[in-house]
Amino acid sequence: MPHQCTSCGHVFEDGSKEMLSGCPDCGGTKFQFHPEGADIPERPPGDVDPPDRPEPDDSVAGAVGNAAATVRDLVGGTSTGNGGVSPTENPPVSGNEGVSTGNKGDRSIATESENVGGVALDDGGSTPADTSADRSQGTSAGGFENTSDGESENAAQASARSDVVSRDELPDSPAESPDSDRDNGTVVQEPDEADRPDLSELREELNDQFESIKVVEPGQYELNLMELYDREEYIIALQEDGKYSIQVPDRWQD
Amino acid sequence: MGLLTGLRDSISRAAASLFSEQDPKRIGIYGPPNAGKTTLANRIARDWTEHGDAVGPESHIPHETRRARRKENVEIERNGKSVSIDIVDTPGVTTKVDYTEFLDHDMDKEDAVRRSREATEGVAEAMHWLREDVDGVIYVLDSAEDPFTQVNTMLIGIIESQDLPVLIFANKIDLEESSVKRIRNAFPQHETVPLSALEGDNMDEVYGKIAEYFG
Repeated sequence: MPHQCTSCGHVFEDGSKEMLSGCPDCGGTKFQFHPEGADIPERPPGDVDPPDRPEPDDSVAGAVGNAAATVRDLVGGTSTGNGGVSPTENPPVSGNEGVSTGNKGDRSIATESENVGGVALDDGGSTPADTSADRSQGTSAGGFENTSDGESENAAQASARSDVVSRDELPDSPAESPDSDRDNGTVVQEPDEADRPDLSELREELNDQFESIKVVEPGQYELNLMELYDREEYIIALQEDGKYSIQVPDRWQD
Repeated sequence: MGLLTGLRDSISRAAASLFSEQDPKRIGIYGPPNAGKTTLANRIARDWTEHGDAVGPESHIPHETRRARRKENVEIERNGKSVSIDIVDTPGVTTKVDYTEFLDHDMDKEDAVRRSREATEGVAEAMHWLREDVDGVIYVLDSAEDPFTQVNTMLIGIIESQDLPVLIFANKIDLEESSVKRIRNAFPQHETVPLSALEGDNMDEVYGKIAEYFG
């Protein structure tokens, strides 16, 4: 399902012209593009997030963003020669809010990555919780089973625990807590590491998207036309280090 | 903030249209690099201004125009009616500027890098003008090239969202590979006028449409 209305969830075929005049069901003008086989929409399990985003952004920028997003999808589908435009190709609709204010965009990068991190933690937390529950039943047989498990993974920690825990606290079945701690410790790290490249990729994509002019190297530039069009200030001079001089609108000086 | 700005913009636009009788409309000539925008601007200036001064130098090297140039008070007469417009020739809009493409045109690296930087600034300027300073758009395309590019669709989308009157000029019809139909098919919602700004082909219709759309 390539396009989905963000207000009512109506799904459109890829390349559908129907949505160019708004959603026929609810009149919504924001659509999310779901590329086929893309893992980005699948990652947040509560997929409610993107559809929840209809913002009261009735400005020209919003409208243009939508038009551009749909146009972009159309163009992307037919793959014209300008395929190298990474900033505009990536996240279709969610980009609109970022486009409206550059600073806000930066902030949303941060929250986005935090969210992703949070999801990773939750996922990591849920699996070990199950296993620790299983184990806690097993531990009633004796704390040694645990320590032997632990030794295979982390000998130093396990022996330290066996000394302290087994004598005083084990009878009251507190074995769970060190156990689950250890599980959390090991399991959480794995998705964390696995997610690292994703996070940096995501950040890079978002950075790409919010930048007006990206200096690939001196003399090579990538331009985000929507962002250039959308910003009130006017870039008048580029410097080699990627900084640029801007002219602010008169009304900013009032 | 966005809402306020939008409001201000629409008020200033409304105010501008109130005074349209006196003020000439500012018509931006937009399009991708090397579509013939400057050639067209120069032809219009030559045909309709007293001294016929050129708006800017023409070149086959992309990004020759790197600053928007304006020609004010161009009076075009059609059917006994006179239309006054300001022509703004803008740098070609693109999403990538790479100095290496200039190296083929007998340019050393330093010049190529400078040209590239200026072209990028020019695109930023053109996009800025589109937002604030243009009352109508002539969108020039090279009819020998595929019109269905991201830049074209995005720019036309922006222009449409601004409710600006737009004419699409299918330029370079003197070339063998030219296909006006391809452009009509790509943007069926807009009027497409075939022409060769270089050869002066079909300029009668061009001026007629300008008067009709922007007068």
